[in-house]
Amino acid sequence: MLESVLFQILIGVYRSSYYWLIASGLTLIFGVTRVVNFAHAAFFVLGGYLAFTFFNLTGNFWFSLAAATLTTGLIGIVVERLLLKPLYRVEVLYQLLMTFAISLIINDMSKIVWGLTAQSIPIPSWFKVQIPIFNRFFPAYYVFVIGSSFLTFILLYILINRTMWGLRIRATWRDLGMAECLKINTQRIYALTFLLGTALAGLGGALMIPVSPVGPGLGDHLIITAFIVVVIAGLGNLLGTYISAYIVGIAESVFILFVPEVDILLIYAIMALILMVRPWGLFGEK
Amino acid sequence: MSLSEKAGRRDFIKYLATGVGGLIVGAVIGYGAKPSEVREVVREATVTKEVAKEVTVTKEVPAISKLPKPTVKIGVLGIRSGLWATYGEYIEQGARLAAEEINAAGGILGSNIELSFRDEQADVVKQGRELVEGEKADFLVGVDSSGNALKLGEIMSELNKIFIATHAATHRLTEELVFSKNIKQIFRISVPVYQDGILAAYVAKDLPIRKWAGVNPDYEYGRVSWDFFMKTLKSYRPDAEFVSEQWAKFGTTDFSPFISTVLATDAEGLFTTEWAIELKTLQTQAVEMGLYRKIKAIINPMGYSMDIAYMLGASYPTAEYGTWVSGRYIWPYPPTTVNKEFVERFRRRWGRYPAYSAETTYSAIYLIKYALEKVGTFDIDKLIKAMEGVVIMTPAGPRWIRPEDHQAIYEVPYGRIVHKGAEIPLLENLKVLPAWIYYRHPPFTA
Repeated sequence: MLESVLFQILIGVYRSSYYWLIASGLTLIFGVTRVVNFAHAAFFVLGGYLAFTFFNLTGNFWFSLAAATLTTGLIGIVVERLLLKPLYRVEVLYQLLMTFAISLIINDMSKIVWGLTAQSIPIPSWFKVQIPIFNRFFPAYYVFVIGSSFLTFILLYILINRTMWGLRIRATWRDLGMAECLKINTQRIYALTFLLGTALAGLGGALMIPVSPVGPGLGDHLIITAFIVVVIAGLGNLLGTYISAYIVGIAESVFILFVPEVDILLIYAIMALILMVRPWGLFGEK
Repeated sequence: MSLSEKAGRRDFIKYLATGVGGLIVGAVIGYGAKPSEVREVVREATVTKEVAKEVTVTKEVPAISKLPKPTVKIGVLGIRSGLWATYGEYIEQGARLAAEEINAAGGILGSNIELSFRDEQADVVKQGRELVEGEKADFLVGVDSSGNALKLGEIMSELNKIFIATHAATHRLTEELVFSKNIKQIFRISVPVYQDGILAAYVAKDLPIRKWAGVNPDYEYGRVSWDFFMKTLKSYRPDAEFVSEQWAKFGTTDFSPFISTVLATDAEGLFTTEWAIELKTLQTQAVEMGLYRKIKAIINPMGYSMDIAYMLGASYPTAEYGTWVSGRYIWPYPPTTVNKEFVERFRRRWGRYPAYSAETTYSAIYLIKYALEKVGTFDIDKLIKAMEGVVIMTPAGPRWIRPEDHQAIYEVPYGRIVHKGAEIPLLENLKVLPAWIYYRHPPFTA
């Protein structure tokens, strides 16, 4: 029994890796630009689709992963500059509507470009190993995903907290007006944030596609969990978001094992409870 | 005695008399209105003569050569957006092939079929209304989702057009809406959840395993199928045990926690009604997580749907006692000329083997053709009467439209997935049961 629970927790850790990749970009974008990016999960799915296309062109998994991540980021910047920049000075509602529209556009365009059936790519052969643990088999690919996710956390942390660019991002996050007074090119920071945020989401999708085929509209289901993670964590704290992603992923996984009838309900209940007790999230600032 | 007391007694007697009088009147009327007793009339020689007379008198059927208008408009509903959009495409493929064949051969009594396609996910009731009231559709066919079929079904008596369901599988559409609520406009040409839950149990009962786990989608279809499966299997195998019951919501991208939960039990077999993209995800992850090392059989009712067959292809996993799959029509069955030629025409037209909802929609349009040719009018009651009780030959075999619930009765086999290097995986060990055995029957109380 203990082994089952431990294995289930391990599965939860694996799922949390994807949640972190989506939530990190979401919270970064919101923190800096104050845009609630409803299209964020659509970028996640786009990353998966792009990985599929690059893999069909080159047959190389690593190249596809990198190219998909970068391309998603570039698409993110283009979208931000063209569609969101004009809306920064107006009411927040319009930005929300715009990101919602973007998610619909991306969804339907992917239907046109990649068709209606689910697409996937094969797992690279070195990862087609199953690691015996807790009396079961844990796919090596899952370990790779967990590792990649952790690596991005470390890299992002270093970027935000130990580099000049990170300093500028944090300054813009804290106080836009002051940052501009200090001659920080906030427009460039906005664009960079979008590049980073959407690239992270794209990486998530590209990592997922070998084990979970992507289809049009898959993002609609993921965005909810991403929001739950961000809300529980509170804004302004990368480590907080990382931990929150793990809380949600592991809780979800363990609930499925013990209370399969109400596992979805419980996640929402937890979110509601946290919002009632600490509306600024577990790790946010008041 | 005071005046009021006297008055009270008088009133009482008055009311009593009225009551008794009323009872007498009522009794007389009731007795008079009583249906006459049925008396057996035995007429011997006279009866035969009369019968013979009736037989020789041929009913005058006016030669029907034209329909009242030059087009027959058919509204086609399917899922055209989101994760299951391929299924709407299959419905369209079947509808188009039927319409093209019929129009090329002169239409329905000279009238051309016109198709209008709508996305049932964009509020099915609104789409149904727009098709009938706006576009003046004469018939509605299609609908993938059980939930949508129930919603649309509720308004069909108001819209007063015939709706032939070609995919949605909930038994409630025919058992409740047609049989109990008398919404006679609804027909279903495709086999319902009897295929998914009941026949699946017939397959399961003969397998040398006892403990079953269920991973099913959390909505009407998933719940009902699992329920039928458990009840039917338990009645044939009292030793059967259901060790795990799990519900996955729509759009689940990761079945890993469900799979690991199944692994945590001592399940020997897995029953799952997951379909389309989620089925592919489930199968891919099941292989990766070593589920197939432990589970000895899998029963997946919609596992021979063509999107899955093409998506999984040669990597469709097989279990020791079989990966048992079926559909609402499977292209290799029955081995009739009608079916073989249909499959050929479909492959020439669309380049792939026909999906089950393509065949069902194709047959629905031919059923409409039959009814219109028989009655020569768009009169709803005449069309309904023409369809009820008809036996029509289709690629899936002969289908009898049962008059009580308007459900087409025909059988579809389960088979084991086998790889023979063909374009798609094939089926072996086809297990066929006459539809009478596994369909439910009116009055549907069991």
